[in-house]
Amino acid sequence: MADQLLTDITRFRRSPLARLHDRMTAASVTGARDVALREIPFLNMVGIRVRPGSAAAEALAAVAEVPLPAAHGAVTGDPDGVAVVWQGPDEFLLVSQDETVVPLELTETADREPGALISLSTHPLTTQLCRALAGHQESGQVVDLSANRTTLELSGHCARAVLEKGCHLDLHPRVFEVGTAVSTTLGPVQVILWRTAERTWRIMPRASFAEYVAHWLMDAMTEFASSEVP
Amino acid sequence: MADLLPEHPDFLWRNPDPKPSYDAVIIGGGGHGLATAYFLASRHGMTNIAVLERGWLAGGNMARNTAIIRSNYLWDESAAIYEHSLKLWEQLPEELEYDFLFSQRGVLNLAHTLGDVRESVRRVNANVLNGVDAEWVTPEQVKELCPIINIGDDIRYPVMGATYQARAGIAKHDHVAWAFARKCDELGVDIIQNCEVTGFLKDGNRVTGVETSRGTIHAGKVGLCGAGHSSVLAELAGFRLPIQSHPLQALVSELHEPVHPTVVMSNHVHVYVSQAHKGELVMGAGVDAYNGYGQRGAFHVIEEQMAAAVELFPIFTRAHVLRTWGGIVDVTLDASPVVSKSPVDQLYVNCGWGTGGFKGTPSAGYTFAHTIANDEAHPLNEPFSLERFETGVLIDEHGAAAVAH
Amino acid sequence: MLLIECPNCGPRDETEYHYGGEAHVPYPEDPSQLSDKEWAEYLFYRSNPKGLLAERWAHTTGCRRWFNVLRDTVTYEIKAVYAIGEPRPALQADPPQHPRGGTR
Repeated sequence: MADQLLTDITRFRRSPLARLHDRMTAASVTGARDVALREIPFLNMVGIRVRPGSAAAEALAAVAEVPLPAAHGAVTGDPDGVAVVWQGPDEFLLVSQDETVVPLELTETADREPGALISLSTHPLTTQLCRALAGHQESGQVVDLSANRTTLELSGHCARAVLEKGCHLDLHPRVFEVGTAVSTTLGPVQVILWRTAERTWRIMPRASFAEYVAHWLMDAMTEFASSEVP
Repeated sequence: MADLLPEHPDFLWRNPDPKPSYDAVIIGGGGHGLATAYFLASRHGMTNIAVLERGWLAGGNMARNTAIIRSNYLWDESAAIYEHSLKLWEQLPEELEYDFLFSQRGVLNLAHTLGDVRESVRRVNANVLNGVDAEWVTPEQVKELCPIINIGDDIRYPVMGATYQARAGIAKHDHVAWAFARKCDELGVDIIQNCEVTGFLKDGNRVTGVETSRGTIHAGKVGLCGAGHSSVLAELAGFRLPIQSHPLQALVSELHEPVHPTVVMSNHVHVYVSQAHKGELVMGAGVDAYNGYGQRGAFHVIEEQMAAAVELFPIFTRAHVLRTWGGIVDVTLDASPVVSKSPVDQLYVNCGWGTGGFKGTPSAGYTFAHTIANDEAHPLNEPFSLERFETGVLIDEHGAAAVAH
Repeated sequence: MLLIECPNCGPRDETEYHYGGEAHVPYPEDPSQLSDKEWAEYLFYRSNPKGLLAERWAHTTGCRRWFNVLRDTVTYEIKAVYAIGEPRPALQADPPQHPRGGTR
């Protein structure tokens, strides 16, 4: 037993909204006023603090193979690959795909010195980002924040109408273009709101608020299951 | 046309021009200012006094509060002054010969978490030790006292019990002001409206009078009862106060048959509600976050307290918000008032009652009058001096001050 | 509802922010050297003007950064937004005196 090391991280993972998947599917609406809700679980999320334009910033962008976004609302990269969301003048959230193969150094069972591991993250990209930052004098931060938030995806013709019930921002396409992401509130909950396609939105609340947001969205979607009242 | 109008009702007070000087001048014609003048005249024989009000009588916070009266505060010093106030409330309708509909219908302070329960039971015990009527009641007892309340388990913050003070209640705030004003006038006090203080006259460090929009008025003593405007006055007088002025909103519903028999307050879900004699539900919650003298706040504050209210009282979903308004509350960092001498000789300050000034009206007036007349605090207001901010002997009443802070 | 222009994120409703009270009150260089009165001044005394107030706000649901605002506490009108560390701006014109009298 002592020689066995568990490296299959999927065995005990549960996403914050696992309990509600069936209800979210059932709440989805088809037809002309369609709107659907699902969770995209286990996306990798990395909190990056670094001064834009610095050597450290360049190094991180190089590892990510995606430049850092330059301004509020900007997102670089690909939501289905590696993307980086602007959070603040020196703060970014890198979002990338789930990876269940654990970095080699975490699988080694030999004794190691305290601090020998650059990161305890189970995600290889995150570990590489840590290593890239560590190589610079510049202070900064690379933190695995994957468990901090989960990702809801709201799509369909009425997705925007649903969001507008609880979001104070102007979500009209001329203002909130595809590929825009901001930190704001949906109802009372802080979320990252990310328009990934014409009629597709990612909503990223903190994990402990996810159920509330899911219930809120399902409640807001109910209206569209009936035809519009003239 | 005038001959078609009915006879004008009796005026309750004169509207004299200010005299050139008085023995004492009270700045602020709200509940506290009028009560102070009343006690100066009736208890200390000081009748050559004036109350100066920049607007119309009791048009400030006295017109805008939710009229809750109780004395269930935590610390000994607070229990003493608020209970003294409650005992005065009980005798004032007779003393002032005015029925201002003081209704001792009780107050429930709800507990929604284990922390709430512990703090509440502690406060009940502290109250009992201080001679203040208080008891801890279970959710079932809460339901008996207030049948329309939801004590179910299926809400976000279920009711876990409450403190109950039976002698607490409400009164008609405008009538309280008029009751004091009428007695003041009878005793010879000049009530001067539309009279804004624009400066202070001093002889060295001693106040000798005020400059006003209606002329200069000399005064042997000056008492500040300006509530949310206390800092403005203090600055004119050359000193600072440890208060911040915030908007505090309140609202009423339309008139309903009596459905709500008591007063219910909830710190945790952040709302308090009573039903006035006329039938309107009277509700409020916390201050707007920022400093403000605008007597108005933002609607999300109202929405949030409505969400809390309809979950606690499902029947309220039938009611409507009829009118919202705001006052200017002067808040201290320990949520306790300042009834004190000031750095200026013969100038006294009564402020910092924050969101809970109405209930303190009688005792504020009584102790402030004593302080002014004797140039020394009454034992009841001695702990509430400005000095406590320097000595560190603060009186932290954030819990018992309930929602509003 | 105040509409506050965050220097990083643009205009947002006041519900996205947290109020931080008066700005430009520096933490004492050496608190241990202060008298009780001076320490009390720092802890408990702040300006409370009926008029322009320089205050701090944090965009807690957005970029989480703090910034300064110059706002009229009577009209709630925001006159200026500026960075932490910058001095309070002098306005181009004298702000109008608030009318006297009445409950304003």
